Amino acid sequence: MKKIGRRMFLIQAQRMFGLAGASLLFPPALWAQQKNTDIAVVKGDIEPAVKKAVKMLGGIDRFVKNGSRVVIKPNMSFDSGPERASNTHPAVVKTLAEMCRKAGAGRVLVLDNPLRPAEQCIENSGIGAACSSLEKGMAQTVTDSSRFSEVEISNGKSLKKTEVIKEVLNADVLIAAPVAKSHSGAGVSLSMKGMMGLIYNRRVMHRLDLHESIADLASLLTPQLTVIDASRVLSTAGPGGPGKVLTPETIIASADMVAADAYAVSAFEWYGGRYNPDQIKHIRLAHQRKLGRMDIGNLKIDKTTV
Amino acid sequence: MRFRRTAQAVFLAIFLLILAGAGPIAGSDLFLRMDPVLIGVAALAGRALAWAFIPALIVFVSAVLFGRIFCGYICPMGTTIDATDTCISRPRSIDENSRPISPRLKYYILAFIAGAALTGVTFVFWAAPLSLITRFYAMVVYPVLLLIIDAALSLLYPLASLLDIRPLMFAEIPNPRYSAQIFVLMFFAAVFAASRFSPRFWCRYLCPSGAFLGMVSRKPLIRRHLESGCNQCGICADKCPMGAIDRDSPQITRHSECIVCRQCAQICPQNAIYFGTGPIENIPLRESVSPGRRQFLVSGLAGAATAAVTLTGLHVVAGDEAEKGVVRPARLIRPPGALPEFDFLAACVRCGQCMSACPTNTLQPVWFEAGFLGIFSPAVTPRRKYCDPECTACGRVCPTGAISRIRAQERAWVKIGTAVIYRQQCLAWEYEKSCMVCDEVCPYDAVEFEKRPDLAYPVPHVIEDKCSGCGHCEHACPVYNRAAIVVTPMNALRLSPGESFEYEAKSRGFDLRLEPKDKTAETRAGPYPGSEIPDAPPRESKGLPPGFDEGG
Repeated sequence: MKKIGRRMFLIQAQRMFGLAGASLLFPPALWAQQKNTDIAVVKGDIEPAVKKAVKMLGGIDRFVKNGSRVVIKPNMSFDSGPERASNTHPAVVKTLAEMCRKAGAGRVLVLDNPLRPAEQCIENSGIGAACSSLEKGMAQTVTDSSRFSEVEISNGKSLKKTEVIKEVLNADVLIAAPVAKSHSGAGVSLSMKGMMGLIYNRRVMHRLDLHESIADLASLLTPQLTVIDASRVLSTAGPGGPGKVLTPETIIASADMVAADAYAVSAFEWYGGRYNPDQIKHIRLAHQRKLGRMDIGNLKIDKTTV
Repeated sequence: MRFRRTAQAVFLAIFLLILAGAGPIAGSDLFLRMDPVLIGVAALAGRALAWAFIPALIVFVSAVLFGRIFCGYICPMGTTIDATDTCISRPRSIDENSRPISPRLKYYILAFIAGAALTGVTFVFWAAPLSLITRFYAMVVYPVLLLIIDAALSLLYPLASLLDIRPLMFAEIPNPRYSAQIFVLMFFAAVFAASRFSPRFWCRYLCPSGAFLGMVSRKPLIRRHLESGCNQCGICADKCPMGAIDRDSPQITRHSECIVCRQCAQICPQNAIYFGTGPIENIPLRESVSPGRRQFLVSGLAGAATAAVTLTGLHVVAGDEAEKGVVRPARLIRPPGALPEFDFLAACVRCGQCMSACPTNTLQPVWFEAGFLGIFSPAVTPRRKYCDPECTACGRVCPTGAISRIRAQERAWVKIGTAVIYRQQCLAWEYEKSCMVCDEVCPYDAVEFEKRPDLAYPVPHVIEDKCSGCGHCEHACPVYNRAAIVVTPMNALRLSPGESFEYEAKSRGFDLRLEPKDKTAETRAGPYPGSEIPDAPPRESKGLPPGFDEGG
């Protein structure tokens, strides 16, 4: 029998019973009356904007329960500072981690398998220091193969199995906290592309069809909450930069990773132009596979400023 | 005896500690620099005074005054052999007349190495004890130890995760791997096994450094003396691990063989032996094991002749590596700051310190690829991992200056090679996959992507003048086995000590700047900095940025 971790069980259970569960949680009358925010878009300073965006989705308690084990996945693959926008801003990560702890999370870890030398990434990104102000050892880079476990991707078309960081498989809640940036291979690098930082062999995905394997990976690693850091957007020359950095000072949050990514594609300028979410193949594939929705026109998008 | 054991343990511990910390710890080459033969030959063969010979000088003086105390108390090779001798076997007492070889052999080895060094060729790494033992611990013992620790951590992982012990959960033990390490092991297996013939077999019969110290300690100030109580029982001669006491007349000490272990003084039933200053005794010359003059000379000549033969090897580089007719391995990348090849090989004592200090394990010993003279010399192996363009560890730990020390601010300019793309293997060029990993990892921004009308995805080019050969690209390339982008020795800067890498690089038109990590590229030219997208439209979509398509 295939072993599945607690988190995998929850993911699958959620997928199977998602609708039934939702109707139990919300009495039908209330459900009809008040539709939840699908995508929260908040402009303003990072800390209040992150808090507000999550609140608009129903608050952190919707995602993190007492004792939950949480993994936050930021971008910290590059040994560059926040101004270059190739890593998530440390304030975004710190605010999210703090919220999780307040919600009673049993364990909060900030994890990434970086591209560049690990120590320099965790230091130069500023994420290491920001997180250790909350708890020592919270942010970690994981590169040793023994810290990963192989998992099958049952619905995978290109990527059929991969090795995932054990602590991610052990976690109850996965939060994607990517920076919004362009990517010369994948078009954009947002929450779906960011999941490549939780596996051991990301290089194999370039040998396969990159977009298809990103969608495959998203079917395995589906964050319950996605918070996209668009305080700065690396609009060109991603993922590493240096490129043109926009400063929309915006935070995008959604319980649907595909919707969050789709919104980020449509909301900002990429390489000097405007594009639709369906022009990114992995977003299109994820939508077709019902991993989430890219038809943001049909979703409830709430915008505000703090 | 206890004092000697303690001293040996302490010195071995210091040796191992600074070896394990090689790189961060300054002076990690201290023990290597104590080996007079190693330093002397490096200076002789390299035609340069090894910059820090003072420890070797101290050892030399100590031998003149106190005999071979270095061998008996300090040398990590001697300590290790003492330890394995105890483990492997108690040798039977040796009949000096039927011993397998003469203790003089070590003098001939010394002469052989010295003769070769005079011709500018170094054989010292085959026999200098500090070179051998450093290599043994760095390449054989240390990696195995780490392997075991890593396995233990993996076993502990579930428990660590359960108890949320972060340092245990995320501790990542480096796993250095070395090529040719099995030959080091085999060599030492033989050295250790030789204790079946005699204790300290290596030190007695083979060690050229021991021979050198023996030559200068034939009459040390502090030495073994006999008092009148001696009844010539011969127990001391039986037990002497070095065979330094004459069997027939135990009052005769071959001081050049004695390592001052004082075992004889302790076991003497008559308490007739003491170490100290004393009257000069007459030692018949025939009792000495000093080398015959003629054999010594012949050994030296043999060394020089053998060196001459090796100089006719196909892979020998006499001058410029790029000269016509020079046959070099296509992929031999030397560490940053390595001297010009011939000088480098002459100065390098193959101790393995650089490889042990290398934080990315990219420095590997080469076996026969670079010819006989290149055995165990270090080479960058980018497929294993990149050579960090901010790291100067190898030059810092090199005991002989075969790898120059590089100032941190000049490090980025030290070009060790140039990356080349094999298009037939490249995912973007040949397989029409979306791959830009080489560009993603390049710290010099030396990989440029071009979108072409005939290809589905942008394809990489190397900007040679911006490439330092660090190998980030080759390490990260997702292609199996041989990467599609590989570093070649092309245009590597091999300068003599004191020359400026920045000056030389600039004068050759190189632009080796590490990408600033905290800047954005608003000032950079071109519409899509970092991944140039020229006007030509892609095959399937017109004017779209990389990774985007028409949608659907």
